[in-house]
Amino acid sequence: MNALWNAITKLYGEHGASQTGLTLIEYNPDEKLAVIRTNNTALNMTRASIATITKIEEKPVAIHVLAISGTIKALYKNLRH
Amino acid sequence: MKRQYADLHLTTNIRDSQQVSVIINKAAQLGYNLIALLFLPNTTQEELKQIQTACKEAKLDLATRIDLKPRTPNDLIFNLRKFRRRFEIIAVLCESKNVARQAAKDHRVDLISFPSTDFRQRFFDMAEAELASASQASLEIDTRPLLMLEGPARARLLASLRKEVAIAKGFKVPIIMSSGTSNELLMRKPQEQAVLAQLFDLDREYALDAVSRNPTAIVTRNRQKLSPKFIAPGIRLVKKGKDC
Repeated sequence: MNALWNAITKLYGEHGASQTGLTLIEYNPDEKLAVIRTNNTALNMTRASIATITKIEEKPVAIHVLAISGTIKALYKNLRH
Repeated sequence: MKRQYADLHLTTNIRDSQQVSVIINKAAQLGYNLIALLFLPNTTQEELKQIQTACKEAKLDLATRIDLKPRTPNDLIFNLRKFRRRFEIIAVLCESKNVARQAAKDHRVDLISFPSTDFRQRFFDMAEAELASASQASLEIDTRPLLMLEGPARARLLASLRKEVAIAKGFKVPIIMSSGTSNELLMRKPQEQAVLAQLFDLDREYALDAVSRNPTAIVTRNRQKLSPKFIAPGIRLVKKGKDC
C-alpha cells in the first residue's frame, strides 16, 4: 500500500491522493493478489498510479489490474470467471 | 465489435530467443492481439520465421518494424528507399528539425517520434502536424519514459506531451501509444496504457484508439501496400491472364 500511496502522491500530489479514498481490503501473498477500494471518481487516478509502479523496496515489479467492480461480491464473481 | 489491441514498439533484441519468447508470452497474457518487434536491417528469413512461429503459438499477429535515426533528410530518404519494401512499419526518431519535417511529409514514414528526455528536440509543432496529417504519418508516444522518469523530468515530459497531443488532435494526426521497452516488467495492459494517456489529456475513446484502431490501421494499410496485388491506393490486381 505504501508503494501505491507513494505513486499517487508523486503523480497527483497530496491533494490528489486525498481524493482517492484508498483502502486495502485484502491481500493474499500466495496468489500475489490485492483487493483495493477507491472512490469511483478517482478510479482513473488510481489506475494510472498503479501502472506507474515499477519498484517496491528497490525490487522491480509490475502491478496489473485484473478486475474492477462496484461491489466486493461482484468483484470476486468477476475474478472467478 | 471487440477491440483488437496492438503494441507496435517492443525493443527486445530479436537475436536473444529466450527474451523474445518472454516478451511474446507477456504480450499475449496482457491481452494484445498484434505486436511489432524491432528488427535489424540484416535480419535473416530464418530468424523472422522463428519469431513468427513463436507468435503464432501465442496467438499473436507479428508485424516487422525498423527504427530509423537519420542525421539528415537525405539520409532518411536513402534509408526509406532501402527499407520501405522490407518492413511493415517504419518509424523515424527525429533528432533535428530538418529530419522531422522530411519524416512528416514523406508518405513512406508510418510513425514519427521524438527523444523523451531532451525537450528541445521535440519538434512536433503545428507545421509538423500539418505535414504529418497530409502524409498519414502518426505520432508515436512510448509509455516507458512515463514509467521510468520521476519528479520534474516526468512533469516536463507530461507538459510537452499535453501540448503535442492537443496539436495532433487539432490536425487529426493519429496517435499511437506503445511500450517502447525490452523489459517485460515495463509492459502494461492496453487499458492501462490508455489510462496513462489520460495523464496528458487524451480522452478515453481517443486513448483506446491509440492502442487499438490506429496501430491496427497502419499495419493493415501497409500489408495491403506490400502485397504483390497492390497497384495504387484503391486499385489492386484481382485477376491476371488472357481472359480478363
